[in-house]
Amino acid sequence: MAGRMKVEHLWVRFTGEHGEVQALEDIDFSVEPGEFITVLGPSGCGKSTLIRSIAGFQKPEKGRILVGEREVSDPGPDRLMVFQEFDQLFPWRTVLGNLTYALKVKGVAKAEREETARRFIRMVGLEGFEKAFPHQLSGGMKQRGAIARSLALNPEILLMDEPFGSLDAQTRAILQAELVRIWQDVGSTIIFITHNIQEAILLGDRVIVMGTRPGTIKKIVPVPLPRPRLPETPEFMALWHELYSQLEVHRFGENGKVESLVSGKD
Amino acid sequence: MKKKPSLWKNHTFRQVLFVLAFLAIWEIVALSKIYPPLLFPDLVSILKALVESTASGEMVQRTWYSLYLILMGLGIGLLISFVMVALAMVSDIFADFMEAMVAINHPLPGVALLPITLLWFGSGEWGIIFVLVHSVVWPMMLNTYAGFRSVSRTQLEVGRNIGLRGLRLVTSVMVPAAFPYIFTGLKISWARAWRSLVAAEMIFGASGKDGGLGWLIYQRRFFLDTPGVFAALGVIILIGIVVESGLFTQLEKRTVQRWGMVVTRS
Repeated sequence: MAGRMKVEHLWVRFTGEHGEVQALEDIDFSVEPGEFITVLGPSGCGKSTLIRSIAGFQKPEKGRILVGEREVSDPGPDRLMVFQEFDQLFPWRTVLGNLTYALKVKGVAKAEREETARRFIRMVGLEGFEKAFPHQLSGGMKQRGAIARSLALNPEILLMDEPFGSLDAQTRAILQAELVRIWQDVGSTIIFITHNIQEAILLGDRVIVMGTRPGTIKKIVPVPLPRPRLPETPEFMALWHELYSQLEVHRFGENGKVESLVSGKD
Repeated sequence: MKKKPSLWKNHTFRQVLFVLAFLAIWEIVALSKIYPPLLFPDLVSILKALVESTASGEMVQRTWYSLYLILMGLGIGLLISFVMVALAMVSDIFADFMEAMVAINHPLPGVALLPITLLWFGSGEWGIIFVLVHSVVWPMMLNTYAGFRSVSRTQLEVGRNIGLRGLRLVTSVMVPAAFPYIFTGLKISWARAWRSLVAAEMIFGASGKDGGLGWLIYQRRFFLDTPGVFAALGVIILIGIVVESGLFTQLEKRTVQRWGMVVTRS
């Protein structure tokens, strides 16, 4: 398998609508091959900037990101991103076509493409929808398709930027369970962004808790619970409260009200 | 399968009936001789004129010439539009220039340019092609540029992520993603060009050795051959129907509609 991934003293700054923003400040951690890492933080903490930097879409100000021995400079199929948006499958290709096209771009031989594509479509439970166009699928099915496409390319790291963030609670729970099963089958390295504490604990081997403005790592919390994990167990609840207290940041709103930047379970 | 609906409920069937009813009324009026046949010829004489001019090869030749002119106009127009849009995508300054040009020229009907065109290009074939290019270029630029700018960031990033760069990213992601807009531009361009063509031919065809359908109408009127005028009008209508209801509708069904990428704007 691939080498470990390292984020070394990463600083990211960019010019937004409100002038210069220090998005990330001295982010430093490493991920072992085959590890499932969740990154937890409130909106605006720079967790998306972090994963976009790893993907190569965002240039660092200082520091570097290493995948094995290679330094990340550009987007590439060794680090595939699954986005939150439902439009990430190409609408002009069928589900199967989306996978086989990506495999073609990667340079996989023609004879192999369809077989590989079908295998991963089966794996994510989209059997029977190979010939469907994305607009004929539900949101959850589109995300399954996007996960299948990313896995089919056999990346060293799978980057997931709140892929279940726009799904209803039930679909989300199903896909969380399936993602764990697929990860256990395939053994890929996953970095998964979320603002949902329960999701972070359910999925991750370790949870990276981020603080906001500028984005920093507050703490890295291992999750020693065996899988499948049940949110009702006392150990789960204890961890939930620990993460909650880590995250909880109060600030005074414009009209003097205290607002919590982090909501509880949703 | 669904039960076969009654024929009367079929839209196409009903529309064909209306056309037949219109023709019947026409024929009754013509045969009643309320108006002199010179102004209001009956269907048989129109059909005879059509058959005769087709048999003599004149109608076919005139039709080909019109189609040749419009294809030249469309081809050159599309080429110019794509080059302009490509430059506008690269340079902000050029984009402003292009948008200003579109704003000035788009509302200007091609027919209004005919006198100026005569002065500039004389009465040859290139004068007509210039008018056609004018009808094609502005709506095409407007729509293609809007299309490229509407391409979702996610889809572009997916493209870069799987390893597409440069021209391959443009042809594999941007063009299909913008296709609904490009297609709309094409439909508007055709409609405008086809309508300008007939008008332009009536003015330019007069001194050229070849002439198209517009010139044929003009000529026939000159010789008071009214059935011949209507025969040429019939051919113009027929080509319009074949292209707009046949070609474009089929293309739309196979692409935009199939992909669920229908644009709700004109």
